[in-house]
Amino acid sequence: MSGMDSALKPRLKRRSTFEYVSWVVCILVGVGVLSSVATNPNFKWDVVAKYFTHESILRGLMLTIFLTVASMALGTLLGLGLAIMRASTIKPIAALAGVYITIFRGTPVLVQLIFWFNISALYPNLSIGIPFTDIGTAIDTNALMGPITAALIGLTLNEAAYMAEIIRGGFSAVGKGQLEAADSLGMSGAMKMRKVIIPQAMPSIIPATGNQVIGMFKETSLVSVLGVAELLQSAQLIYARTYETIPLLIVASLWYLVMTLLLSYPQSKLEQKYSHTSARVPRKARKVTLTAPEGIAR
Amino acid sequence: MNADGTIFARKIRKSFGPKTVLKDVDLEIASGEICCIIGPSGSGKSTLLRCINGLETVDSGILKVNGDDFGYYETDTAYHALPPKKLAQQRTRVGMVFQQFNLFPNMTARDNVMAGPVLVKRADKRQSAKQAQELLTSVGLGAFGDRYPAELSGGQQQRVAIARSLAMDPEIILFDEPTSALDPEKVGEVLGVMKELAKKGMTMVVVTHEMGFAREVADSLIFMDEGNVVERGDAREVLTNPKEPRTQAFLEQVL
Repeated sequence: MSGMDSALKPRLKRRSTFEYVSWVVCILVGVGVLSSVATNPNFKWDVVAKYFTHESILRGLMLTIFLTVASMALGTLLGLGLAIMRASTIKPIAALAGVYITIFRGTPVLVQLIFWFNISALYPNLSIGIPFTDIGTAIDTNALMGPITAALIGLTLNEAAYMAEIIRGGFSAVGKGQLEAADSLGMSGAMKMRKVIIPQAMPSIIPATGNQVIGMFKETSLVSVLGVAELLQSAQLIYARTYETIPLLIVASLWYLVMTLLLSYPQSKLEQKYSHTSARVPRKARKVTLTAPEGIAR
Repeated sequence: MNADGTIFARKIRKSFGPKTVLKDVDLEIASGEICCIIGPSGSGKSTLLRCINGLETVDSGILKVNGDDFGYYETDTAYHALPPKKLAQQRTRVGMVFQQFNLFPNMTARDNVMAGPVLVKRADKRQSAKQAQELLTSVGLGAFGDRYPAELSGGQQQRVAIARSLAMDPEIILFDEPTSALDPEKVGEVLGVMKELAKKGMTMVVVTHEMGFAREVADSLIFMDEGNVVERGDAREVLTNPKEPRTQAFLEQVL
């Protein structure tokens, strides 16, 4: 043995042969794929570059973003309503929400989208008025239900069912003791919901909602079947003309990837923020001051 | 006669499924009385307490709090549940302090104390903040108003919880094993606050395992076992000369 002091020798991690082999395989596969992508002329990277910022692609992207934001916002609101109904002690109300959630989560969103687009086959006219009287007006359903409207309704109603379950999960994470404390102070149901349940359910609802936003962003591509010129449909419209199918699908995919990556950064921050229980303390609380605000006698 | 601060119960019954937790319990607590309820776990003492502010409903029997039928109104044939607003109103007159404190973690200590007056009684915010500060000071936490529950020790949280109950200005305050979840060295600070409170003439019902507190502060003592009130009487009398063999056996174990 050398003269080195045993107590000071570093302790090395064990590396298995498998680890070395996995490195080699990974690098070989990576190089193979990359060189193929770079050298195969059928990828037509020049076409990808040309269309990446093409006007109609960007317009499609905007519509995709609009559909994501609008259906998430409306879906969350409706989902909150459903979650509150689901938590109701009045049985028919809770059951109604339950049936809604079951139907909308139990059928494919693609089917739902096509269904709303074709709703006029079921109800050719929509009328607003007082039942059993002649007062009111009727509107042609087809005129009302354009592709974008159908897309928005379909995505919103579907998302509401998922958000309802997420919000309900958040509600049930609020301890029974919290509800009892609110009850014993004489809080009304609505007050309890607003001041006690919802604020405390947020830490579990927010990160899950972030995931839904990312999911929704990709889900909007389904509305291309309704002929809505969102990102995918915009790409499809171009390659239907130019037959440059793969390059345009790559254009769309790159945009989806870029947007998802952009969204996943705030998402991981949100998850970190709400992952441990100490995060239940709002951020401003971490700057603790021991002085009472002005005007309060001590 | 003014019945504020009184609790009256006759033949209270309460079952959870097949298990009868309260078997024809009678109770009579005068205004300003400090009553301790002791007994082994599962004896129904917490359930009895929770019935008094409506966290549980009784299956049958008479329950009058502050002189009124609690949570129900009586007709010739039945008791009918009160509308939520009326029940909430009754509850504001009965404070509750929980074993697990149950402070709202999303609110500062001061906001916790202000929650009842501001959110329920629609009291003036400035006035309530001032009252909250006074209450926090009275429980020794005048400098902690801006802290969140997660930044307070168990003993401090429980003292805030007491202040929160007091902010509603209740005639009766109920304590459900207020020191059982605390580190042993924090028990004293909470009992200290409760002793101060006892001097102020408020009706207090305390479910506890702290025999020292019962001996020192309580007027009356109730020993419960298996859903029955086994023995009741003057606190010091029961603790030193228990008449019932079951009480004797229990006290021998805990003292």
